[in-house]
Amino acid sequence: GLQTPGVQAGLGCVLKALEQDSSTAGLGPGATRVTSGIEAWLGLVRHRLPSSTAAEFDHAAQPSSEQLCEGRSEVGAGGWQWASQPGRQSSRAGSGMDISLSMVAKEAHQGLDGLPMPMPHKVAKKHKKAVLFFEVEILDAKTREKLCFLDKVEPQATIAEIKNLFTRTHPQWYPARQSLRLDPKGKSLKDEDVLQKLPVGTTATLFFRDLGAQISWVTVFLTEYAGPLFIYLLFYFRVPFIYGHKYDFTSSRHTVVHLACICHSFHYIKRLLETLFVHRFSHGTMPLRNIFKVSILTLLALPTISTCPPQANSAALFQNCTYYWGFAAWMAYYINHPLYTPPTYGAQQVKLALTIFVICQLGNFSIHMALRDLRPAGSKTRKIPYPTKNPFTWLFLLVSCPNYTYEVGSWIGFAIMTQCVPVALFSLVGFTQMTIWAKGKHRSYLKEFRDYPPLRMPIIPFLL
Amino acid sequence: MPLAMCSFVCSDIFFLSFQVQSEDSVLLFVIAWTITEIIRYSFYTFSLLNHLPYIIKWARYTLFIVLYPMGVSGELLTIYAALPFVRQAGLYSISLPNKYNFSFDYYAFLILVMISYIPLFPQLYFHMLHQRRKVLSGTEEHKKFD
Repeated sequence: GLQTPGVQAGLGCVLKALEQDSSTAGLGPGATRVTSGIEAWLGLVRHRLPSSTAAEFDHAAQPSSEQLCEGRSEVGAGGWQWASQPGRQSSRAGSGMDISLSMVAKEAHQGLDGLPMPMPHKVAKKHKKAVLFFEVEILDAKTREKLCFLDKVEPQATIAEIKNLFTRTHPQWYPARQSLRLDPKGKSLKDEDVLQKLPVGTTATLFFRDLGAQISWVTVFLTEYAGPLFIYLLFYFRVPFIYGHKYDFTSSRHTVVHLACICHSFHYIKRLLETLFVHRFSHGTMPLRNIFKVSILTLLALPTISTCPPQANSAALFQNCTYYWGFAAWMAYYINHPLYTPPTYGAQQVKLALTIFVICQLGNFSIHMALRDLRPAGSKTRKIPYPTKNPFTWLFLLVSCPNYTYEVGSWIGFAIMTQCVPVALFSLVGFTQMTIWAKGKHRSYLKEFRDYPPLRMPIIPFLL
Repeated sequence: MPLAMCSFVCSDIFFLSFQVQSEDSVLLFVIAWTITEIIRYSFYTFSLLNHLPYIIKWARYTLFIVLYPMGVSGELLTIYAALPFVRQAGLYSISLPNKYNFSFDYYAFLILVMISYIPLFPQLYFHMLHQRRKVLSGTEEHKKFD
């Protein structure tokens, strides 16, 4: 899934970019310090920490890699994968994290080749009081207005803790919707970043950006998928005020209409169940910048670790819901219309299309399961997905993102089955968006793995 | 954005019924858009030559105040005048049942377009006013110090 190649690609990307950065001349000492500091930290995270904690840091690495490498973790119409840390939420912010951070801090200090770090000379152990307190002032990123001033902040305070302190003075901005950064136009700091490791003096200036109201991921997906399911059924049962009054609650006399309802409903029920049970969502705040160009669910996810449940921006949710629900209503209107015309080639066409649909649905599900199994919970390894014993996964030989391929196939099957232009248009729009995602994922695979099978294309075998 | 709107309306008029083409409202928006476009393209040309006379810049960012509402009302009136003809002829519309299970009502579409002007026009207009304040006040300061 995305968790594996995306994050690994991301981490690899970050390290490569940083290598390049620190080797180019002309960088100020501050920048070099930052890059080598981060590099050392990331390197240590990768190699020395226990794998379970490291997995979370992998996610931490993803935001920067996302921005550096323009690879994306997106939600595909076919579903997507995030690494899960089930049941770890409560322990994450606890002692395990702190100990590992101070471990890293010690080792990073040694790993910096003598470059000075803004760190008190005495390396503070967890229970000893730090000698030097930091002060943090938080300014609005756009207006530079001073929003908050925190004094007596412990050097080992994490960004998460600072966010909590900030919430106390501004309760409307709960931590999940805060983006704190060192530079108004820079990247968001991660929740587990430690204050003394940042390239700041003893008075740190952080810039705040409001990410907007946040909503949990589960809510996002359930809403987006439950909507079409429900709306289609409204049209299928010919609820009053949609068609003429004489058609209220009547039933179509065409078999294909009933089949279409079953297929459509099955598809969205499958997606809902996958959201609940198959896909692994990484926990943490997800400020989504919705790239809603083609009006499909495109989410640029920047996961950062925090104790908050996964969140999404409410504006993004609204746009994505409009897309899914709108198209569902449009399609359902025509398919369930009293004047619906069944396919030209009759039962033959319907049977063929239904077969295509079922095969692609099974394929899509198999791929989701295969991607989920690729990376068991807690591990941090990223691997190239390979075909398994399941014949549906053999598409991995030809394609990087067979889940998208199968998804497009399902919708084409559905379009042929109903012989309906709105369905065809919906498939086309979906195909366009999924191609963009598939290409991005393919690119990040290629960047990450030198031995990536050259035969594979992003979404359509041999073509695209 | 104004370009998109203009091309939409122009193509609309082209494709719309002949009956509409002699309406006064057509004259209204044609004049408005013609003047606007002449000024706008001169602005671009002179900008590329790095020799922009202030009068062109001023015209571009001031005349719109009158021309823009003129153009929009001309368009709206024209569309409104065309509606009965569209309804009568069933222009560009396709209705059920048909083998592609698709329908399109040009009449309803035009009404939607007209309604969409309500949110869009103020946004664009105020954006232009804001641009005007930014661009022209900046130049005036320059001129003062020259």
